[in-house]
Amino acid sequence: MINRTEWIRALSAHPAEKLLSMTTALSSDWTIRPKSIPQCGLGMLKLNDSAFEEPFYLGEFPLASAWVEIKTADGLVAEGAAQVMNDQIDVAEALALCDAVLSAQLPGWEKVTKLLDEGMQITKSTQLERKQMLASTQVNFSLLDDVSGNDAGDDDAAN
Amino acid sequence: MLQIDPIWMADNQQANFRLLLDAMARPGKCQPLEIKPENGPAALAILATLLDAEVSLADPDHLLDKDDWLMLQVKSSPAEQADYVICDGSHAPDFSPKLGTLPSPDESATIILVVNTIGEDLADENIHLELTGPGIADSTSLLVSGLNKQWLDKREDWTCAFPLGVDFILLDKKQMAALPRTTKVELI
Repeated sequence: MINRTEWIRALSAHPAEKLLSMTTALSSDWTIRPKSIPQCGLGMLKLNDSAFEEPFYLGEFPLASAWVEIKTADGLVAEGAAQVMNDQIDVAEALALCDAVLSAQLPGWEKVTKLLDEGMQITKSTQLERKQMLASTQVNFSLLDDVSGNDAGDDDAAN
Repeated sequence: MLQIDPIWMADNQQANFRLLLDAMARPGKCQPLEIKPENGPAALAILATLLDAEVSLADPDHLLDKDDWLMLQVKSSPAEQADYVICDGSHAPDFSPKLGTLPSPDESATIILVVNTIGEDLADENIHLELTGPGIADSTSLLVSGLNKQWLDKREDWTCAFPLGVDFILLDKKQMAALPRTTKVELI
Protein backbone atom coordinates (compact mmCIF):
# COMPACT_ATOMS: atom_id res chain seq x y z
CA MET A 1 0.00 0.00 0.00
CA ILE A 2 1.24 3.48 -0.85
CA ASN A 3 2.09 5.72 2.09
CA ARG A 4 -0.83 7.94 3.18
CA THR A 5 1.21 11.11 2.70
CA GLU A 6 1.35 10.26 -1.03
CA TRP A 7 -2.38 9.56 -1.49
CA ILE A 8 -3.58 13.06 -2.30
CA ARG A 9 -0.70 13.71 -4.72
CA ALA A 10 -1.32 10.44 -6.53
CA LEU A 11 -5.10 10.89 -6.73
CA SER A 12 -4.70 14.50 -7.88
CA ALA A 13 -3.00 13.18 -11.03
CA HIS A 14 -6.43 12.14 -12.33
CA PRO A 15 -8.82 14.56 -14.02
CA ALA A 16 -11.26 16.19 -11.56
CA GLU A 17 -14.29 14.75 -13.38
CA LYS A 18 -13.04 11.20 -12.87
CA LEU A 19 -12.58 11.73 -9.13
CA LEU A 20 -15.92 13.47 -8.74
CA SER A 21 -17.90 10.82 -10.61
CA MET A 22 -16.31 8.04 -8.55
CA THR A 23 -16.85 9.71 -5.17
CA THR A 24 -20.44 10.63 -6.07
CA ALA A 25 -21.17 6.99 -6.89
CA LEU A 26 -19.45 5.75 -3.72
CA SER A 27 -21.14 8.14 -1.34
CA SER A 28 -24.74 8.05 -2.57
CA ASP A 29 -26.13 6.69 0.73
CA TRP A 30 -23.53 8.10 3.11
CA THR A 31 -23.86 11.01 5.51
CA ILE A 32 -20.95 13.36 4.95
CA ARG A 33 -20.41 16.28 7.30
CA PRO A 34 -17.59 18.81 7.30
CA LYS A 35 -15.29 18.88 10.32
CA SER A 36 -14.08 22.30 9.22
CA ILE A 37 -15.46 24.61 6.56
CA PRO A 38 -14.26 23.56 3.08
CA GLN A 39 -12.42 26.51 1.61
CA CYS A 40 -10.55 27.65 -1.44
CA GLY A 41 -8.39 30.70 -1.89
CA LEU A 42 -4.83 31.77 -2.46
CA GLY A 43 -1.82 30.59 -0.52
CA MET A 44 1.22 32.85 -0.18
CA LEU A 45 4.71 31.39 -0.37
CA LYS A 46 6.98 33.30 2.00
CA LEU A 47 10.77 33.05 1.67
CA ASN A 48 13.79 34.88 3.05
CA ASP A 49 16.07 36.64 0.59
CA SER A 50 19.67 35.46 0.70
CA ALA A 51 21.28 38.93 0.93
CA PHE A 52 19.50 40.58 3.85
CA GLU A 53 17.53 37.60 5.14
CA GLU A 54 14.36 39.64 4.87
CA PRO A 55 11.08 37.86 4.19
CA PHE A 56 9.32 38.32 0.87
CA TYR A 57 6.43 36.65 -0.89
CA LEU A 58 7.57 34.61 -3.86
CA GLY A 59 4.07 34.34 -5.23
CA GLU A 60 0.55 33.06 -4.81
CA PHE A 61 -0.93 29.69 -5.56
CA PRO A 62 -4.50 28.36 -5.52
CA LEU A 63 -5.30 26.32 -2.43
CA ALA A 64 -8.36 24.29 -1.51
CA SER A 65 -8.90 22.33 1.69
CA ALA A 66 -11.53 19.99 3.11
CA TRP A 67 -11.90 17.85 6.22
CA VAL A 68 -14.89 15.56 6.31
CA GLU A 69 -16.49 12.91 8.48
CA ILE A 70 -18.30 10.05 6.77
CA LYS A 71 -20.99 7.86 8.27
CA THR A 72 -21.94 4.95 6.05
CA ALA A 73 -25.35 3.29 5.92
CA ASP A 74 -23.83 0.45 8.01
CA GLY A 75 -22.81 2.88 10.73
CA LEU A 76 -19.08 2.95 9.94
CA VAL A 77 -17.47 6.29 10.69
CA ALA A 78 -14.27 7.64 9.15
CA GLU A 79 -12.52 10.96 8.71
CA GLY A 80 -10.48 12.22 5.81
CA ALA A 81 -8.85 15.47 4.78
CA ALA A 82 -7.15 17.02 1.79
CA GLN A 83 -5.26 20.20 1.02
CA VAL A 84 -4.49 20.68 -2.65
CA MET A 85 -3.18 23.30 -5.03
CA ASN A 86 -6.49 23.70 -6.80
CA ASP A 87 -9.22 26.32 -6.95
CA GLN A 88 -12.16 23.88 -6.80
CA ILE A 89 -13.61 23.07 -3.39
CA ASP A 90 -15.44 20.01 -4.70
CA VAL A 91 -12.13 18.47 -5.80
CA ALA A 92 -10.73 18.94 -2.29
CA GLU A 93 -13.92 17.38 -0.88
CA ALA A 94 -13.65 14.41 -3.25
CA LEU A 95 -10.00 13.89 -2.29
CA ALA A 96 -10.84 14.14 1.42
CA LEU A 97 -13.54 11.53 0.87
CA CYS A 98 -11.04 9.23 -0.90
CA ASP A 99 -8.64 9.75 2.01
CA ALA A 100 -11.35 8.64 4.47
CA VAL A 101 -12.36 5.65 2.32
CA LEU A 102 -8.79 4.43 2.05
CA SER A 103 -7.86 5.02 5.69
CA ALA A 104 -10.88 3.15 7.08
CA GLN A 105 -11.25 0.75 4.13
CA LEU A 106 -14.89 1.74 3.71
CA PRO A 107 -17.00 -0.03 1.06
CA GLY A 108 -15.55 0.72 -2.37
CA TRP A 109 -11.97 1.15 -1.13
CA GLU A 110 -10.72 -1.27 -3.80
CA LYS A 111 -11.86 1.13 -6.53
CA VAL A 112 -10.05 4.00 -4.83
CA THR A 113 -6.92 1.89 -4.39
CA LYS A 114 -6.96 1.10 -8.13
CA LEU A 115 -7.25 4.82 -8.84
CA LEU A 116 -4.44 5.47 -6.37
CA ASP A 117 -2.10 3.01 -8.11
CA GLU A 118 -2.90 4.47 -11.52
CA GLY A 119 -2.34 7.98 -10.14
CA MET A 120 1.01 6.95 -8.72
CA GLN A 121 2.07 5.63 -12.14
CA ILE A 122 1.03 8.90 -13.79
CA THR A 123 2.91 10.89 -11.14
CA LYS A 124 6.05 8.79 -11.59
CA SER A 125 6.02 9.10 -15.37
CA THR A 126 5.47 12.87 -15.10
CA GLN A 127 8.37 13.12 -12.68
CA LEU A 128 10.57 11.09 -15.03
CA GLU A 129 9.60 13.29 -17.97
CA ARG A 130 10.46 16.41 -15.96
CA LYS A 131 13.80 14.95 -14.88
CA GLN A 132 14.67 14.21 -18.51
CA MET A 133 13.74 17.74 -19.54
CA LEU A 134 15.84 19.15 -16.71
CA ALA A 135 18.78 16.92 -17.63
CA SER A 136 18.64 18.12 -21.25
CA THR A 137 19.05 21.73 -20.10
CA GLN A 138 22.12 21.03 -17.98
CA VAL A 139 25.28 22.87 -19.00
CA ASN A 140 28.73 21.41 -18.50
CA PHE A 141 30.68 24.39 -17.22
CA SER A 142 33.96 22.43 -17.11
CA LEU A 143 34.24 22.96 -20.90
CA LEU A 144 34.41 26.74 -20.37
CA ASP A 145 38.04 26.40 -19.15
CA ASP A 146 39.08 25.01 -22.54
CA VAL A 147 37.20 27.72 -24.38
CA SER A 148 38.73 30.53 -22.31
CA GLY A 149 42.17 28.93 -22.87
CA ASN A 150 41.61 29.00 -26.64
CA ASP A 151 40.50 32.63 -26.48
CA ALA A 152 43.75 33.50 -24.70
CA GLY A 153 45.73 31.62 -27.35
CA ASP A 154 43.88 33.48 -30.12
CA ASP A 155 44.69 36.81 -28.45
CA ASP A 156 48.36 35.92 -28.25
CA ALA A 157 48.36 34.94 -31.89
CA ALA A 158 46.79 38.25 -32.89
CA ASN A 159 49.47 40.15 -31.01
CA MET B 1 -22.63 15.63 -1.45
CA LEU B 2 -21.54 17.45 1.68
CA GLN B 3 -24.23 18.20 4.27
CA ILE B 4 -23.43 21.59 5.76
CA ASP B 5 -25.55 23.18 8.48
CA PRO B 6 -27.27 26.25 6.98
CA ILE B 7 -25.58 28.58 9.49
CA TRP B 8 -22.29 28.08 7.65
CA MET B 9 -23.68 29.19 4.29
CA ALA B 10 -22.69 32.72 3.25
CA ASP B 11 -26.20 33.91 2.33
CA ASN B 12 -27.60 32.85 5.71
CA GLN B 13 -24.72 34.52 7.50
CA GLN B 14 -25.48 37.69 5.56
CA ALA B 15 -29.12 37.49 6.72
CA ASN B 16 -27.99 37.08 10.34
CA PHE B 17 -25.51 39.93 9.93
CA ARG B 18 -28.35 42.17 8.76
CA LEU B 19 -30.26 41.21 11.93
CA LEU B 20 -27.23 42.05 14.05
CA LEU B 21 -26.95 45.47 12.40
CA ASP B 22 -30.64 46.12 13.10
CA ALA B 23 -30.24 44.92 16.67
CA MET B 24 -27.27 47.24 17.24
CA ALA B 25 -29.09 50.17 15.61
CA ARG B 26 -32.22 49.59 17.72
CA PRO B 27 -30.94 48.63 21.18
CA GLY B 28 -33.32 46.48 23.18
CA LYS B 29 -35.43 45.47 20.18
CA CYS B 30 -35.87 41.70 20.01
CA GLN B 31 -34.79 40.29 16.67
CA PRO B 32 -35.94 36.73 15.91
CA LEU B 33 -33.11 34.58 14.54
CA GLU B 34 -33.92 33.62 10.97
CA ILE B 35 -31.37 30.85 10.69
CA LYS B 36 -30.67 28.59 13.64
CA PRO B 37 -28.21 25.68 13.82
CA GLU B 38 -29.54 22.18 13.30
CA ASN B 39 -27.27 21.01 16.14
CA GLY B 40 -25.65 23.04 18.88
CA PRO B 41 -26.53 26.26 20.67
CA ALA B 42 -28.41 29.09 18.93
CA ALA B 43 -25.45 31.34 19.69
CA LEU B 44 -23.51 29.38 17.10
CA ALA B 45 -25.50 31.12 14.35
CA ILE B 46 -24.30 34.51 15.61
CA LEU B 47 -20.74 33.32 16.15
CA ALA B 48 -20.62 31.82 12.65
CA THR B 49 -21.68 35.22 11.31
CA LEU B 50 -19.18 37.29 13.27
CA LEU B 51 -16.05 35.20 13.59
CA ASP B 52 -13.23 34.11 11.35
CA ALA B 53 -9.59 33.19 11.75
CA GLU B 54 -8.57 36.85 12.19
CA VAL B 55 -10.34 37.34 15.54
CA SER B 56 -10.24 35.64 18.92
CA LEU B 57 -12.94 34.10 21.08
CA ALA B 58 -13.16 33.15 24.75
CA ASP B 59 -15.65 30.63 26.05
CA PRO B 60 -15.12 30.61 29.84
CA ASP B 61 -18.37 28.69 30.48
CA HIS B 62 -17.62 26.01 27.87
CA LEU B 63 -20.80 26.56 25.87
CA LEU B 64 -19.15 25.35 22.65
CA ASP B 65 -17.84 21.88 21.90
CA LYS B 66 -14.69 20.87 20.02
CA ASP B 67 -16.49 20.51 16.68
CA ASP B 68 -17.92 24.04 16.97
CA TRP B 69 -14.40 25.43 17.47
CA LEU B 70 -13.13 23.56 14.40
CA MET B 71 -15.89 24.98 12.24
CA LEU B 72 -15.49 28.51 13.58
CA GLN B 73 -11.74 28.45 12.86
CA VAL B 74 -11.34 31.22 15.42
CA LYS B 75 -8.38 31.71 17.72
CA SER B 76 -8.96 30.79 21.36
CA SER B 77 -7.94 33.45 23.82
CA PRO B 78 -8.33 34.30 27.53
CA ALA B 79 -11.47 36.33 28.22
CA GLU B 80 -9.38 39.38 29.17
CA GLN B 81 -7.79 39.52 25.70
CA ALA B 82 -10.52 38.13 23.45
CA ASP B 83 -12.29 40.08 20.73
CA TYR B 84 -15.47 38.10 21.44
CA VAL B 85 -16.53 36.42 24.67
CA ILE B 86 -19.46 34.04 24.92
CA CYS B 87 -20.82 33.55 28.42
CA ASP B 88 -23.68 31.97 30.27
CA GLY B 89 -25.66 35.02 31.42
CA SER B 90 -26.77 33.32 34.61
CA HIS B 91 -23.17 33.19 35.89
CA ALA B 92 -21.62 36.32 37.37
CA PRO B 93 -18.73 37.76 35.32
CA ASP B 94 -15.28 36.99 36.71
CA PHE B 95 -13.10 38.74 34.14
CA SER B 96 -12.41 42.20 32.74
CA PRO B 97 -12.83 42.33 28.97
CA LYS B 98 -10.89 44.50 26.51
CA LEU B 99 -12.33 48.02 26.50
CA GLY B 100 -10.35 49.34 23.53
CA THR B 101 -8.08 52.38 23.50
CA LEU B 102 -8.85 56.01 22.77
CA PRO B 103 -7.22 55.88 19.29
CA SER B 104 -8.90 52.49 18.64
CA PRO B 105 -12.06 52.06 20.70
CA ASP B 106 -13.09 49.34 18.24
CA GLU B 107 -10.40 47.08 19.70
CA SER B 108 -12.75 46.17 22.50
CA ALA B 109 -14.69 43.02 23.27
CA THR B 110 -18.15 42.05 22.14
CA ILE B 111 -19.82 39.96 24.82
CA ILE B 112 -22.43 37.43 23.78
CA LEU B 113 -24.61 36.51 26.74
CA VAL B 114 -26.73 33.40 26.50
CA VAL B 115 -29.85 33.88 28.65
CA ASN B 116 -33.06 31.89 29.16
CA THR B 117 -35.48 34.25 27.45
CA ILE B 118 -35.61 37.75 26.04
CA GLY B 119 -38.78 39.78 25.68
CA GLU B 120 -41.04 37.21 27.33
CA ASP B 121 -42.94 37.90 30.50
CA LEU B 122 -42.00 35.16 32.94
CA ALA B 123 -43.12 37.06 36.05
CA ASP B 124 -40.68 36.36 38.91
CA GLU B 125 -37.77 35.24 36.78
CA ASN B 126 -37.56 38.44 34.80
CA ILE B 127 -35.21 41.34 34.99
CA HIS B 128 -36.89 44.47 33.68
CA LEU B 129 -34.46 46.82 31.93
CA GLU B 130 -35.22 50.39 30.98
CA LEU B 131 -33.07 51.51 28.05
CA THR B 132 -32.28 55.00 26.77
CA GLY B 133 -29.71 56.35 24.32
CA PRO B 134 -28.99 56.51 20.59
CA GLY B 135 -31.36 54.40 18.49
CA ILE B 136 -34.14 54.58 21.09
CA ALA B 137 -36.99 57.04 20.91
CA ASP B 138 -37.39 58.27 24.53
CA SER B 139 -36.98 54.92 26.26
CA THR B 140 -37.73 51.26 25.76
CA SER B 141 -38.01 48.31 28.08
CA LEU B 142 -36.56 44.84 27.78
CA LEU B 143 -37.51 41.76 29.78
CA VAL B 144 -34.73 39.24 30.31
CA SER B 145 -34.68 36.03 32.31
CA GLY B 146 -31.55 34.08 33.19
CA LEU B 147 -29.31 37.14 33.47
CA ASN B 148 -27.18 37.63 36.56
CA LYS B 149 -27.56 41.26 37.72
CA GLN B 150 -23.81 41.57 38.22
CA TRP B 151 -23.45 41.77 34.42
CA LEU B 152 -25.31 45.08 34.51
CA ASP B 153 -23.18 46.46 37.36
CA LYS B 154 -19.99 45.45 35.56
CA ARG B 155 -21.29 46.82 32.27
CA GLU B 156 -21.77 50.21 33.89
CA ASP B 157 -18.12 50.22 34.96
CA TRP B 158 -16.90 49.02 31.58
CA THR B 159 -18.87 51.59 29.56
CA CYS B 160 -18.42 54.65 31.81
CA ALA B 161 -15.52 56.09 29.79
CA PHE B 162 -17.07 56.34 26.32
CA PRO B 163 -15.89 55.69 23.60
CA LEU B 164 -14.19 52.89 25.50
CA GLY B 165 -16.43 50.02 26.52
CA VAL B 166 -18.01 46.76 25.47
CA ASP B 167 -21.04 45.81 23.41
CA PHE B 168 -23.48 43.17 24.63
CA ILE B 169 -25.52 40.79 22.52
CA LEU B 170 -28.20 38.99 24.52
CA LEU B 171 -29.39 35.76 23.05
CA ASP B 172 -31.92 33.07 23.89
CA LYS B 173 -32.91 30.06 21.80
CA LYS B 174 -35.06 32.06 19.39
CA GLN B 175 -34.05 35.70 19.35
CA MET B 176 -31.46 38.29 20.23
CA ALA B 177 -31.20 41.87 21.39
CA ALA B 178 -28.20 44.16 21.54
CA LEU B 179 -26.98 46.56 24.20
CA PRO B 180 -24.26 48.66 22.55
CA ARG B 181 -21.93 50.69 24.76
CA THR B 182 -23.92 53.89 24.03
CA THR B 183 -27.09 52.53 25.66
CA LYS B 184 -27.88 53.50 29.22
CA VAL B 185 -29.45 50.66 31.16
CA GLU B 186 -31.51 50.99 34.31
CA LEU B 187 -32.79 48.12 36.33
CA ILE B 188 -36.45 48.54 37.25
